[in-house]
Amino acid sequence: MRRPLFWFIYLLLVIVQLLLTNYLRVSPYLMISILPMMVLCISIRVGTVWTMLIAFATGFVVDLLSEGLLGLNVAALVPVAFFRNGIIRLVFGTELFARDEDFSVQRNGFGKTALAILIAQALFLLIYVWIDSAGMRPLSFDALRFAVSLVASMLVSLLTLGLLAPDPRR
Amino acid sequence: MRKRRNWFASLLNVVIFIGLEMTALQLISANAPLQRTWIAKGAHYFMAKIWGGSASVENYFSLAQENETLSRENAALMKELLSAREMLRAVHTDTLSMGNWSGFSAIPAEVVKISRNGQHNYLILNKGSEDGVQEKSGIITRDGVVGIVDAVGAHYAYAFSFRNNDISISARLGREGGSGLLVWDGKSTNGALIKEVPLQYKYNPGDTVYTSGHSLLFPPDIPLGLAGDAHVINGATNEIDVTLFQEFSSIRYVTVVHNNSFDEIQQLVQ
Repeated sequence: MRRPLFWFIYLLLVIVQLLLTNYLRVSPYLMISILPMMVLCISIRVGTVWTMLIAFATGFVVDLLSEGLLGLNVAALVPVAFFRNGIIRLVFGTELFARDEDFSVQRNGFGKTALAILIAQALFLLIYVWIDSAGMRPLSFDALRFAVSLVASMLVSLLTLGLLAPDPRR
Repeated sequence: MRKRRNWFASLLNVVIFIGLEMTALQLISANAPLQRTWIAKGAHYFMAKIWGGSASVENYFSLAQENETLSRENAALMKELLSAREMLRAVHTDTLSMGNWSGFSAIPAEVVKISRNGQHNYLILNKGSEDGVQEKSGIITRDGVVGIVDAVGAHYAYAFSFRNNDISISARLGREGGSGLLVWDGKSTNGALIKEVPLQYKYNPGDTVYTSGHSLLFPPDIPLGLAGDAHVINGATNEIDVTLFQEFSSIRYVTVVHNNSFDEIQQLVQ
């Protein structure tokens, strides 16, 4: 079970994402997003429908308060919410659902947690880059952007993961 | 019960997911012209696939009805074609009585019987004296000469086919070339010979052979066939192979032409 401050930290991380989106513009190839990790960390007790609605609202707020396309983060994040249970089941097995527990690095291991975040990030970035490109940019540009953004987003997501999915034993 | 609830929950998830994604795409379309075009293009492609697929299925199941419609259309077109053919024949008849063929009357007729395999072939036409057909009239089609009317009944006429050893027609090589007598070669279905062409008249193989107009039976300049190789006969005249345009196996409609001055000229000759 996530700690009581989860939603507060979630809101803080939305602000962090806004700062990253609005002020970290190093290269057109680089786009850092921690939103997929945040959606993945929502407790499994929250159903898929609610998770999708939260993802929609999160993406909408980020889109609204940043200079990007309105609806782009929404379109990329809602599928992450839709497939969230599937990703968790695929990586961690059905045990978590049977025990009604949320995943954490300490309990489930770094590798599995990183893999789950990697899948969520890849899904998010794939849709994000695809829609943002709108078939106008060459595939090589999109591929490089996807790869660079995936690596950078993974690093930032793993660094902030402890805030949303802390060690349950503490 | 639980299974049914899970199934319903999954369905609800999918419906809400699609709804939210559509809303997101709508937001993007409304705010970005480039993405709007791209999404519209994708949507059109998707719709085309869906509607195209359903139309194919629908078409497959409506083939029987389609065949019936086509059959009805086919019958109507055939009727129109026959009517047009009749009109064309009437126009052809009018044309024959004009221009170079002035002095000739023309009557359309249908071949009701034809012999093809003997050395003395004949035709029976469905027009007789009551229709204006007279003896010693020529029989032609747009592809050349078919024969000569020999005897006439009230409603039918008997004619010698050109494929007959006793028939010869006055023919000319090209528009201005030498004349000779065109006869059936007695062997092939479309082979003929021009006999007695003077040696001084030059021609090229492939030249068209026309009726000369020297005969009282046929108007001049009816194309008959193409000239082939020449053979010198007795060192005095040329005999030239001709491939006829007329296909005797498929003759059905013909035109009977008669020189209106035939009797008068015959009296002068006698």
